[in-house]
Amino acid sequence: MSGATSSADQAEAAARTIYLNQPQQSKFRDNRVSTAKYSVVTFLPRFLYEQIRKAANAFFLFIALLQQIPDVSPTGRYTTLVPLLFILTVAGIKEIIEDYVSIIYLIWETVGDIVKVTNGQHLPADMIIVSSSEPQAMCYIETSNLDGETNLKIRQGLTQTASLQSREDVMKVSGKIECEGPNRHLYDFIGNLRLDGQSPVPIGPDQILLRGAQLRNTQWVLGIVVYTGHDTKLMQNSTKAPLKRSNVEKVTNMQILVLFCILLVMALVSSVGALLWNRTHGEVIWYLEELYVNFGYNLLTFIILYNNLIPISLLVTLEVVKFTQALFINWDIDMYYQETDTPAMARTSNLNEELGQVKYLFSDKTGTLTCNIMNFKKCSIAGVTYGQLPPSTSESCEFDDPRLLQNIESDHPTAAHIQEFLTLLAVCHTVVPERDENTIIYQASSPDEGALVKGAKKLGYIFTGRTPHSVIIDAVSRACVVYSSFQGYVHGIHPLCMGPRATRATLTHHCTNLGDSLGKENDIALIIDGQTLKYALSFEVRQCFLDLALSCKAVICCRVSPLQKSEIVDMVKKHVNAITLAIGDGANDVGMIQTAHVGVGISGNEGMQATNSSDYSIAQFSYLEKLLLVHGAWSYNRVTKCILYCFYKNVVLYIIELWFAFVNGFSGQILFERWCIGLYNVIFTALPPFTLGIFERSCTQDSMLRFPQLYKITQNADGFNTRVFWGHCINALIHSIILFWFPLKVLEHDAVFTNGQGPDYLFVGNIVYTYVVVTVCLKAGLETTAWTKFSHLAVWGSMLLWLVFFGVYSAIWPTIPIAPDMLGQVSFHAWIWERLVSVLSDCSPLAKHTYHKTLLEQVQELETKSKELGKAMLRDSNGKSLNERDHLLKRLGRKTPPSLFRAHSVQQGVPHGYAFSQEEHGVVSQSQVVRSYDTTKQRAGVE
Amino acid sequence: MKNKNSQGAQESPSRCPDNSAFKQQKLPAWKPKLTAPTVLSSFFTIGVFCLLVGICLILYARSVKEIQINYSDICLNCSKLRENSSNWDKECNCSVYFTLQENMLGDVFMYYRLQNFYQNHRRYVLSRSDAQLLGQDVNIQNSNCAPFTIYPNGTPMAPCGAIANSMFNDSIQLFYYLNSSTAIKVPLLKSGNSWWSDKNVKFRNPTSYNLSSAFAGTTRPPYWQKPAYLLDEEDERNNGYINDDFIIWMRVSAFPTFRNLYRHLRHTNQFADGLPAGNYTFHITYNFPVTKFKGEKQVVLSTSTWSGGSNLFLGIAYTVSGAVIVLAGFIITAIHLKLRKKKTYFQR
Repeated sequence: MSGATSSADQAEAAARTIYLNQPQQSKFRDNRVSTAKYSVVTFLPRFLYEQIRKAANAFFLFIALLQQIPDVSPTGRYTTLVPLLFILTVAGIKEIIEDYVSIIYLIWETVGDIVKVTNGQHLPADMIIVSSSEPQAMCYIETSNLDGETNLKIRQGLTQTASLQSREDVMKVSGKIECEGPNRHLYDFIGNLRLDGQSPVPIGPDQILLRGAQLRNTQWVLGIVVYTGHDTKLMQNSTKAPLKRSNVEKVTNMQILVLFCILLVMALVSSVGALLWNRTHGEVIWYLEELYVNFGYNLLTFIILYNNLIPISLLVTLEVVKFTQALFINWDIDMYYQETDTPAMARTSNLNEELGQVKYLFSDKTGTLTCNIMNFKKCSIAGVTYGQLPPSTSESCEFDDPRLLQNIESDHPTAAHIQEFLTLLAVCHTVVPERDENTIIYQASSPDEGALVKGAKKLGYIFTGRTPHSVIIDAVSRACVVYSSFQGYVHGIHPLCMGPRATRATLTHHCTNLGDSLGKENDIALIIDGQTLKYALSFEVRQCFLDLALSCKAVICCRVSPLQKSEIVDMVKKHVNAITLAIGDGANDVGMIQTAHVGVGISGNEGMQATNSSDYSIAQFSYLEKLLLVHGAWSYNRVTKCILYCFYKNVVLYIIELWFAFVNGFSGQILFERWCIGLYNVIFTALPPFTLGIFERSCTQDSMLRFPQLYKITQNADGFNTRVFWGHCINALIHSIILFWFPLKVLEHDAVFTNGQGPDYLFVGNIVYTYVVVTVCLKAGLETTAWTKFSHLAVWGSMLLWLVFFGVYSAIWPTIPIAPDMLGQVSFHAWIWERLVSVLSDCSPLAKHTYHKTLLEQVQELETKSKELGKAMLRDSNGKSLNERDHLLKRLGRKTPPSLFRAHSVQQGVPHGYAFSQEEHGVVSQSQVVRSYDTTKQRAGVE
Repeated sequence: MKNKNSQGAQESPSRCPDNSAFKQQKLPAWKPKLTAPTVLSSFFTIGVFCLLVGICLILYARSVKEIQINYSDICLNCSKLRENSSNWDKECNCSVYFTLQENMLGDVFMYYRLQNFYQNHRRYVLSRSDAQLLGQDVNIQNSNCAPFTIYPNGTPMAPCGAIANSMFNDSIQLFYYLNSSTAIKVPLLKSGNSWWSDKNVKFRNPTSYNLSSAFAGTTRPPYWQKPAYLLDEEDERNNGYINDDFIIWMRVSAFPTFRNLYRHLRHTNQFADGLPAGNYTFHITYNFPVTKFKGEKQVVLSTSTWSGGSNLFLGIAYTVSGAVIVLAGFIITAIHLKLRKKKTYFQR
């Protein structure tokens, strides 16, 4: 949101005038909001634009256009266009499915309407408060959908309209509202209310209720709609999260570029070859007249000939694969949180493999780790500690220490202190009690306050009411006591100070263990607070701080601002070549979630802001384990295997054309039939990449979780880097040499049939092509470690598909006027199954497996002997037992608080509080708000 | 409001994902175990198989009898004559004598073999009209036949295109010397040499009451000495586009050195079992120029087996790779035995 754009917004949006109880004189946008990317009309142009913008698609479009130049293309005019259209169709279907999921709201409010919103409802549009059930037209809203803050905020209507409480009153009003046009500034609003017969009154942001906010603790509110639909501030603010690209994608793009250069070099070499060949042969070849030797045309011919070195289907294959992987994340029942009916959600699918490479994890502390559920467990009064921290295995951790009450009753020397302590607990807070018949529900703005008040309640100091100038406590020993004006007295000893210090210690413990599993040098944790961090992040010492931080197993930063959070993430991201992941649940985590390579939001507690800006959302912190260790590692494995395989199969087939060029005078002749080439990527070898990308499992889920060390394989990018990539390409090169030169030597100047007939060029081509398909499919089989039924279908089905196609295709001329050269090819093929070629190509990897056993393979081996798995002690080089780590992760997994506590927590654990917002310049100050409350009185009811 | 929410939750279906094997990624899967015994046994099995196949192939290929004579060298005069295209109408004959040491039993095939002839050049491969060869009356100017499409006077060529134009047009006859003075012509079949689908589907003569009228309005290609309907005047089923020599020529070769089936032996009289050992001569009418492009022409006589001709490469390749795989198997066994006791990641 730069200044330039916001000023542009201002300029665009004309100020509007809204008439009360009259028809509007200008037309405003309706209140329809669709988050869908496309509409029926815009789909085609927009989709095509998006696709063509991708370099690879643009390249293939360019090739398709080149093929239209007569006499240049060696493969006919449509052999690139048709696969490209096919691929675009698949991509289009995927986009439609994805878009179909997007929600469409339809609410019928129009500008100028006066709307009544009741407690708990979400505001349907941006509106100006007229009146409310509360005194002085006050109302409370929760804006977590807008800014992530869960504290209630106060808005107050104009005094001029506060008295318009009934329908009749409202109907009588006439006048108009002048206000600025729609813009994205949440905290600004300028307008004037001109009631007929009265002087104009200014309207500011305090009178505005924004769409998406929720009305809380207010029976009802009446408002005049000013902005609707896409004009609302919420929609104006809905910017797309920054586009993140995964590391694998970047590497892949780089390799595509290099391959493109290789393609150019190959085309150049071939063109020069053609030039030389024509120079030596052109004069004397009487059977070929008019051999024109245009270097430029030749170059184009060869670019077309070799264009498929860059796999045309890679992009769409990857898109479908990643989309499915994202679905698997959404479908995972282990990451479904029943309490809130929240499944995990992959909000983007292009970072799946990044989840398998995370090296640095940034976690929000309080909300994320504690789930915002706090209980009063322990206290220390005048040097005596009460309550015990229960052993971590025990699930019950309620404060349970009879000594405290005994000490009061038996007039212990500290009895007075205890009483004062409890009184303070019950009094010094901003909690508002709400009576629901006989029970009291505490509305607390933060969970720690709620926990303390409830703790006091359990010990007999029951906070029952609040009036503007006093609080009412029901103490066990005494009758109802009314404390007044406590504010100043207790200021210094806010009891909250004990809360955070507890959490931090446990956190340290946890994080040290966490650091363990990521394996760093120093066995220490660094704790730094926001104030210090400000200096640590300054330019001069930044590097030192980073070095120090990186040498620690865990770093804890407390009391840091959202900006600092993202600054730390950014620093690590920039200076350390590693993948970072940020996880958080609040609006203050949005920055770091968007900065980190991967952002994970905890959906549920502190509003939706973190979730909405995240790449993945999970309901519980503990689900991160499965998201990373299983889904991340698997996705990485699958995506990389899929990519490498796609490159492999294209290099194998198309390098053969280069070899063929050496024996056909660099004329650009193709060895295979043109449609066989064209359909290679979209039919005959289309399925194996999908099964590799979707169903491949190196190890079972249990093993992935049990041996977190397996994560290191993907974390260190052992499966996909420049070396591996070129390894695959060289492998493909060797295979292509075998696949071309062996058949050449076999078939060269020889009769191949018993009846003495010899082969023609397509016969050679088809043999080679068949071997290529068989070899490439078997290669996919070798890459597959878990053969599901789909893998079988893909590997054997593809071969079968080719043979069936071959059979049919060889018989259609002249019934269908294509492929005359193919006619009758198949009948001569039956016998010639020289598996040799494929056998040769596929033997070498087998050999590797025998004596080169990696950890992964050992685990795989163990999996088959599942009984022994339990006993097996996996040791790393340091001799440290991995099972220890296992325990830790198990413990993390158990972090889900038992439902027992949730029932006790404030309002079902939802940390919505009463108004006490930390809003700095709110219309009503906090103390004012607390004072304005009198829970002893009945509030105005809903009409 | 709270009530309403909870009711809503009950009404709306739970968002809990299905617990199906597919969605939970727990589909049953076969996990091939690459343990030492399985890999080693597959190595030895494959290796031994390849060795056996290779040895069989070599034995069969060696059983093939073949004789190959380079007659562009022997008929040097004719070769020279043909280098100058202005001599196209001068006939040149040439005889090549040879002795067959052993009987050639079974089917005997006669091939012509061309070297350094780029039938696989892109422009050459393209230059044909398959529709014309189907006997259809097509405007060949729209085909890829250029530049062998029509003459300057507007007459179209039949058949058109560079492939057809450059058809091999030597005629080779084989004579067998019963004794030193009497030679008899070895009966050779002109037809039955092409692929069934070519002869019956892909090539069709244009229909008319007779063949010469079917080709009326067209002219032979410039390098031909006679029009298409005179390619075989003796056999109606082997004339015009469905002439076997023509059909075989039209199937272009993948490599610049290739051989095409020309004739095969008719088993009659002395030749009932094949070609007997003895003295023979090829009578060649030399028309086809090759020395211009530094090519060579051979005539080949060969028998065949189930695996085709006399090419040893496949057999050798199988044998060598079989041997390599078996050898690798032994090496891996050795390494495996050596490393077996070495510490692994797992300790029980």
